[in-house]
Amino acid sequence: MTDNLLEVRNLKMYFPVKSGIWKRQTGVVHAVDDISFSIKTGETVGLVGESGCGKTTVGRTIMRLYKPTDGDVIIDGKNLKNVDRKQMRDLRKTMQMIFQDPFESLNSRHTVGEIIEEPFIIHRTHSPENRKKEVAGLLEKVGLPGNASGRYPHEFSGGQRQRIGIARAIALKPSLIICDEPVSALDVSIQSQVLNLLLDLQNEMKLTYLFIAHDLSVVKHISDWVAVMYLGKIVEYTDADSIYENPLHPYTQALISAIPIPDPRIRRKKKIITGDVPSPITPPLGCRFHTRCPFSVEKCRIEEPKLEAFQSGMVTKQHLVACHFAGELKF
Amino acid sequence: MRLNPLTLKKIRRFRSIRRGYYSLIIFTIMIGISLFAELLINNRALIVYYEGEVYFPTYGQMIPGSFFGLDYEYETNYRQLRKGFQTENSGNWVVMPIVPYGKLETDFKEDTYPPFPPSFQEKHYLGTDNVGRDIVARLVYGFRIAIAFSLILLLINYSIGISIGIAMGYWGGTFDLLFQRIIEIWSNVPFLYVIIIISSIVVPNFMMLVLIMAVFGWIGMTWTMRTVTYKEKEREYILAAKMLGASSFRILFKHLLPNTISIIVTYAPFAVSGGIVALTSLDYLGFGLAPPTPSWGELIQQGWANMNAWWIAISVISSMLITLIVVTFIGEAVREAFDPKLHTTYE
Repeated sequence: MTDNLLEVRNLKMYFPVKSGIWKRQTGVVHAVDDISFSIKTGETVGLVGESGCGKTTVGRTIMRLYKPTDGDVIIDGKNLKNVDRKQMRDLRKTMQMIFQDPFESLNSRHTVGEIIEEPFIIHRTHSPENRKKEVAGLLEKVGLPGNASGRYPHEFSGGQRQRIGIARAIALKPSLIICDEPVSALDVSIQSQVLNLLLDLQNEMKLTYLFIAHDLSVVKHISDWVAVMYLGKIVEYTDADSIYENPLHPYTQALISAIPIPDPRIRRKKKIITGDVPSPITPPLGCRFHTRCPFSVEKCRIEEPKLEAFQSGMVTKQHLVACHFAGELKF
Repeated sequence: MRLNPLTLKKIRRFRSIRRGYYSLIIFTIMIGISLFAELLINNRALIVYYEGEVYFPTYGQMIPGSFFGLDYEYETNYRQLRKGFQTENSGNWVVMPIVPYGKLETDFKEDTYPPFPPSFQEKHYLGTDNVGRDIVARLVYGFRIAIAFSLILLLINYSIGISIGIAMGYWGGTFDLLFQRIIEIWSNVPFLYVIIIISSIVVPNFMMLVLIMAVFGWIGMTWTMRTVTYKEKEREYILAAKMLGASSFRILFKHLLPNTISIIVTYAPFAVSGGIVALTSLDYLGFGLAPPTPSWGELIQQGWANMNAWWIAISVISSMLITLIVVTFIGEAVREAFDPKLHTTYE
């Protein structure tokens, strides 16, 4: 047995593009294209990438909100491919999700109490009186006032609403929580509060996180490992410190150089990559980044680089990168 | 039951739109009057005091004339009975409703032919139609039938339309595709012709007419609900429920339906006025309910045929106008009050 709580192997999620009155399939969106990674119990993996690169789809496919086109998702030794509906229902107790938009992810017609006790009702885990007690406990745990349960979500601020979402996610005491950009909809001042709450909960409940974000500084704060995604593929995977200090893929380097430094006197030459992400319906041949990569050569247009371990004297931890010229390029 | 503060806000907003709020009050009163029409407009007396006993003939069995010492076995003519008691001066008395005429009763007079013009003395406040039936009675009972018709129709249409629409939107795929095509074909059947054909074979009764209308009427709501469901089901709160392992049943009834209710409510008043207009026009064309039934369509037709009896056309057209305006005002106010733009909770 490995100590990996979550293992994703060659996960592919293609969405068909349909048109015409009979809805014939005319193309495929390669939202997630052959992704593998694993998370050890108690650790946090950050998944970074710009919008539309498929990071949310990864999260939702792991949660089985979509049925993957191909590949395996193994949670706690159970391959989700082989579980039936009833087992899946039970497995949902061990994995939960926190959504990006705290205004969208709570049903505005239910009170906060109803929202948080819904997991107990669905899984019939507590009697009605115990449910109330549990809800009160959860509210306290996420730092919301005790009288919140009778109120409606719209009466709360964004940060508080995200706390409600977190309370719902930890209600069933899951081991894995997928955080789908949990702070990107919040004010910067609130972001750190919510992140610290997530870290506290992780220590207290031995949680494992898959933390999806587009903000590298947020990811650095919370993650042990970071995976950088581009157009449905992981282009670089290493620990949180190395990705900052020694980024190998030109895309990662560009992302890191784009992080603002909170000091106006420091002038840094920013390397901005130009152009848009190519369409995931017809991803470019060869290296997917070659259309925007300043270093691209003939080889990049033809041959797709594999995600391989990068060996060097300095690097001791695992460092995977998908670039033909890893280590040779510096932005 | 505690209402969601958002709902309360909507209700408060509805009440603040005076036109719609007063229209709702007027409309409720109209429905109330039509429900208790027997007590206000009837050829049966409210109370009869005869030989030391009190009788309430309004509801219940027909009382033959011989019962009150008259020389006939058919139903007592209470108006005559009242006159008789007054001339006898025997201490017996009769209290008649405000309009002492029935909905089917013809009031003939010697030497003249109906329609009779409005007369307060005769208590035909809006006159009679061309067979001598009181127009107030016809209007009120006709309203009752029309409103019952459109409310039952609304209920059936919405139950079918909402169920199919939500199912199409929620499950999508082949089911959606199939039903879209079926509905497209179905909605191209010219339903007026179908009703004309059916009515020429059998005279439809009330329930049959409702059902025929419902067979074609559920389509409109289906499209709306399908679209709304498609939009709602992709929102994150539905995903959150799915992720918790909620059953489809729970998602549909606990999450989707409550969030689409404002759209359903917004459409309802317009559907009611549509139902009234539909029944009236069918009656006008003669394909609606069988003749002695009080109906506005039939009155419009009579008014058209007897233009010199102006009171027929004027009274029915103004009743129609008032009803439709009132319902439309309610609908407008509901739409205004439920306008999602006013209630977005985004900061």
